[in-house]
Amino acid sequence: MTGIVKPVVLRLAASVVVLWGAATATFFLLQATPGRTVDVLLARTQAGPEVRAQIVADYRLDDSLPTQYLTYLERLVTGDFGSSYVLRRPVVDAIGGQLPYSLQLIAATLVLTVIASALLAVVSANRRRWVQSSFDAIESLVVAVPPFWLGLVLMGVFSFTLRWLPAIGATSPLGLVLPAVALAAAPIAVLTRVLREGVLHALTEPFALTARSRGLSEVALRTRHVLRHAALPATALLGWIAGSLIGGAVIIEIVFARPGVGRLMLSAVQNKDMPVVTGVVLLAAAVFVVVTILVDLASRVIDPRVRG
Amino acid sequence: MRRMLIGLALVALAAVPSCAAAQGAAAQGPPRPGGTLRLAIEDEPECLDPHQSPTEAARLLDRPLVDPLVHQDDKGVLRPWLATHWTVSADRLTYTFTLRPDVRFSDGTPFDAAAVVANLDHVVAPATKSLLAASLISAYRASTVLDAHTVRVQLSEPDSTFLAALATTSLGMESPRTLRQDPATLCANIVGTGPFVSHDGLQPQQGISYVRNPGYAWAPEGAGHAGPAYLDGVDVQFVPDDAARYGALTSGQVDAIMSVSPTEERELGASPGFLLRTKAFPGINYSYWPNTASGPFADPSVRKAFQVGVDWPQIVRNVYFGTRQVARGVLSPTTPGFDRSVAKNYVVDPALAGRLLDRAGWTGRDSAGYRTKDGVRLRLRHLWSDPSIEDLAVQVQASARQLGIETVEQNVDGGTFVKSLLAGDYDLLDTSFSAAGPNVLQVMFDAANIPTEERGIANNVSRYDQSDIQADLVGALAARDQDEQHRIYGAVQQRISADVAVFPVYSDMATVGARDGVGGIAFDNEATPDFYRIWLAS
Repeated sequence: MTGIVKPVVLRLAASVVVLWGAATATFFLLQATPGRTVDVLLARTQAGPEVRAQIVADYRLDDSLPTQYLTYLERLVTGDFGSSYVLRRPVVDAIGGQLPYSLQLIAATLVLTVIASALLAVVSANRRRWVQSSFDAIESLVVAVPPFWLGLVLMGVFSFTLRWLPAIGATSPLGLVLPAVALAAAPIAVLTRVLREGVLHALTEPFALTARSRGLSEVALRTRHVLRHAALPATALLGWIAGSLIGGAVIIEIVFARPGVGRLMLSAVQNKDMPVVTGVVLLAAAVFVVVTILVDLASRVIDPRVRG
Repeated sequence: MRRMLIGLALVALAAVPSCAAAQGAAAQGPPRPGGTLRLAIEDEPECLDPHQSPTEAARLLDRPLVDPLVHQDDKGVLRPWLATHWTVSADRLTYTFTLRPDVRFSDGTPFDAAAVVANLDHVVAPATKSLLAASLISAYRASTVLDAHTVRVQLSEPDSTFLAALATTSLGMESPRTLRQDPATLCANIVGTGPFVSHDGLQPQQGISYVRNPGYAWAPEGAGHAGPAYLDGVDVQFVPDDAARYGALTSGQVDAIMSVSPTEERELGASPGFLLRTKAFPGINYSYWPNTASGPFADPSVRKAFQVGVDWPQIVRNVYFGTRQVARGVLSPTTPGFDRSVAKNYVVDPALAGRLLDRAGWTGRDSAGYRTKDGVRLRLRHLWSDPSIEDLAVQVQASARQLGIETVEQNVDGGTFVKSLLAGDYDLLDTSFSAAGPNVLQVMFDAANIPTEERGIANNVSRYDQSDIQADLVGALAARDQDEQHRIYGAVQQRISADVAVFPVYSDMATVGARDGVGGIAFDNEATPDFYRIWLAS
């Protein structure tokens, strides 16, 4: 048990540094973008000087940069993420309202990616040259297709023409299908390739010969033994994919009119809405930290050698 | 301002089928009550409270929830609504309103004089941080309850646009009980006297649902009918992508959509089973704006040359396939006080443009064929409002090139845009500005509204500063009545047109596409669709 606790504690300590770095980088990067915050906030409005003064005073935008930074850090440490300048509501509410939808989409995308790529890898791990090259070609094509375009095509076919699935805004499980497929396509292609390499390699190992000689069927050999060997690099890759989806699903969220953290982040950056940007960045950083820890733990389960 | 600073230009999927079969009876015959309208719209307001939000999206979603004191009809005439009549003092500083006695907010609170005072005070309170409404009634000083249904409003200076301002959705009346909450709570939901009620309020990135207000009995004259709304309810979904919104309509997933893109507008107009309704937004047309303070456009003859030399009408037809009206004046034709006599100034005459440029000294030519003066190329830096203007900008650039003028297209991020705007670091800029009345001319041409570092964001983007216009803008506010006010604003429009302080391009349109079972689609004076009149045939 202690074998697991120590690396987790170390990870958590390191993650505090990661979060501080993310918060600091966000603060200074946003400060470095052109235009004063109050001007960007008031672009395309008809606000008078009184309102301008009120906004500067409320958000303390006229404080010096070091003062603003220290106040900012102090508030973050005490768990006060502040209120959105634009949405005029607490950041925790603004993100909390969108997070469940993002998590649903990420979970669906990951499950789809794992199942599909495992199946495809087992099936496509074939010595015959034409089988491999056709899978290679299809995988390259899928990776090259932009997700929003794939999303629109899927929508046109399965929603507008066949009318099997809802196209927009559906927060039901059925509405999750098309966005998840659009998002999962490229990860499936990448992961299948990684898994297949592993499977092909493992099939040449002595243990595969032993298993075959024991009379184990080819299917059983591949699913029970070989896949496990191939899973180690794939797990690390999967962790990275999961982390990038938290804010990276924005285009798919827009195309399918799905609520989500990505859309929140996009408009917050455009509007220099510092509290929301900070909140989302810290959330994404936290997700990366958690996912990395989970990947580490998963690796230990998959491959006993890692534990040593 | 309806355009986002930065939009995501997504390529529309060409293969969206428009093969939806007849989806029920077309809306004919007398309106029938019942049914829930499913509507998909493009933009989501950042805040629902009309006193706070400046957006078109907020106006659309607030319109069913709140009623204003005064009704302004299509012709710009001011009529009673929650106020049955009003008197104005001789010095035009005191307005006395008599209120309808039978009106209740949907939370049961009676609508009375105290409610009006609470609303006007809420709009102008600095804590509200109003981004539009407060500036519409900037002359407001205080208001007093005279009796339960009479309220007196005092202005700090005469303002002939005050009643028209009270007629906008931005000045809609909210339950005074809710106005005591903090502004954030009001961003999520508001309680008014309107024909619909929303129980759950704004659901960020999803939409908003309304149900009929069964007790509604105070629709203004000219609203099409009296009593409660026809629809049981309305479900609004935010669908930012054009192709997705259009496909949702043609595949029957929604009954109606707004902001139909020009290509889809043309397609929808030709599709059986669907209908299209449009209205030009009142206010400032979508226009190119010269920087009249510095650079080549400080010279009025260069501005005139650009105006008559670029073939604006043909460009608008090329880009919008006839779905946008070519603008011939700074104001859109649906704006009260629009002066159609300025249209004669908008001719296309490249030969005249050439002569004007010659006379202005741009007689040389460089190796690329552009005009020069003292060896310097005639170059205009165009700051883009939005990446979606690319097609238009490219055509204007080509047309300008024919004149020997180079336009440098600058598609920048929001922050850079704001920075350049404040520094006056541009020659051309493009934008529209929807507003209910001609006093938007003050917003765009008052020297006090030139954006600068010290002042911050303001809307006189042509940096226009003419003392006679200044005098007229003051005079218009002091006008005795709407006729006199319109006459003065007419003079301002003529002067701006003659001085070429703006290059009008087209009128921005509010568009609704719907299946033909949707009846009664109509727009109010701000070109906001009025859910109160809509009914479903099936």
